[in-house]
Amino acid sequence: MATDKELSDFLKSVEKRAWKRAVYAVRDEDAALDIVQDAMIRLAEKYVDRPAAELPLLFQRIVSNATMDWFRRQKVRNQVVRNFSDFESAGAEGEFDILDTLEALGSTLESESAADSVSRAQILQVIDEAVAELPARQREAFLLRYWEELDVAETAASMGCSEGSVKTHCSRAVHALAKTLKAKGIAP
Amino acid sequence: MNRTENNYRLAASDVVESRFAHTVTARLSERADTVAPEIGERLRFAREKAVEAGRLARQGAVYGLGVTAHGAAVAGFSRSRWWLRIASALPLAALVAGLAIIQESQTRSQISVAAEVDAALLGDDLPINAYRDAGFVEYLKAPPGE
Repeated sequence: MATDKELSDFLKSVEKRAWKRAVYAVRDEDAALDIVQDAMIRLAEKYVDRPAAELPLLFQRIVSNATMDWFRRQKVRNQVVRNFSDFESAGAEGEFDILDTLEALGSTLESESAADSVSRAQILQVIDEAVAELPARQREAFLLRYWEELDVAETAASMGCSEGSVKTHCSRAVHALAKTLKAKGIAP
Repeated sequence: MNRTENNYRLAASDVVESRFAHTVTARLSERADTVAPEIGERLRFAREKAVEAGRLARQGAVYGLGVTAHGAAVAGFSRSRWWLRIASALPLAALVAGLAIIQESQTRSQISVAAEVDAALLGDDLPINAYRDAGFVEYLKAPPGE
């Protein structure tokens, strides 16, 4: 059973990322706050008897469900379905080298001496927007897998899909991000 | 040979994708850490509210286990503090109601006995004042043969 401190520390460690994920999904900061608060209370009330180690996966699933509940309440299911459609590649995946993009992105972000804080903030803004533009399922898989650092099986359980789908969504998200960042001038 | 090469390429691709993804999410974390103060404050408030809700739920769960361990018929409501309160008050209410019923029964019984005695006295041919006569009382106490 998680103690008050364990619960509080856990929520503190994930609350900002959870809010950001919800903002990506619903595009409304206040609604995202409501979703995160609702998810926190659901976790505390219904799963307080679970060990602290189980909280991350449970919380991610609750946030996902709370987000879906929000969409249902807003009656914009059609929009969700449209956003959930698989990312359609233009068939040009071979036209750029992801490693080059990665290296360029890394060097751009790490060369603080060459870039002042304003340009760095602009780069972070571009990355933020690129993630926000991803199709919902790809973004969810990408964020759960790499931001929340769940493994493939946990991500699949949280999203209610197969592990193969998670790998596909993640791979497509990475390629889409690399392409977008390259197009916006962050990568060569 | 080709299969080995393909496997190697796939593995290398996975590593590259993973590195790229972690670079991006590190930047996302950097940006997420600098949320507006009012957002941070509302998240803090939500967290405290959730911890309080967890504390209440935990107390309710512990109380529920205690009650069910003693065999009370409230197993289905072990998570509901409202039902638990009602369930715990039921035995006390039953005890008070039982005592009241016993008291009422005793009173009615005494009244009934007194009424029977009165009816017997009033219905008898012998006047009541006869029982106040000391000689008559001695006569009643004496054995029938004397």
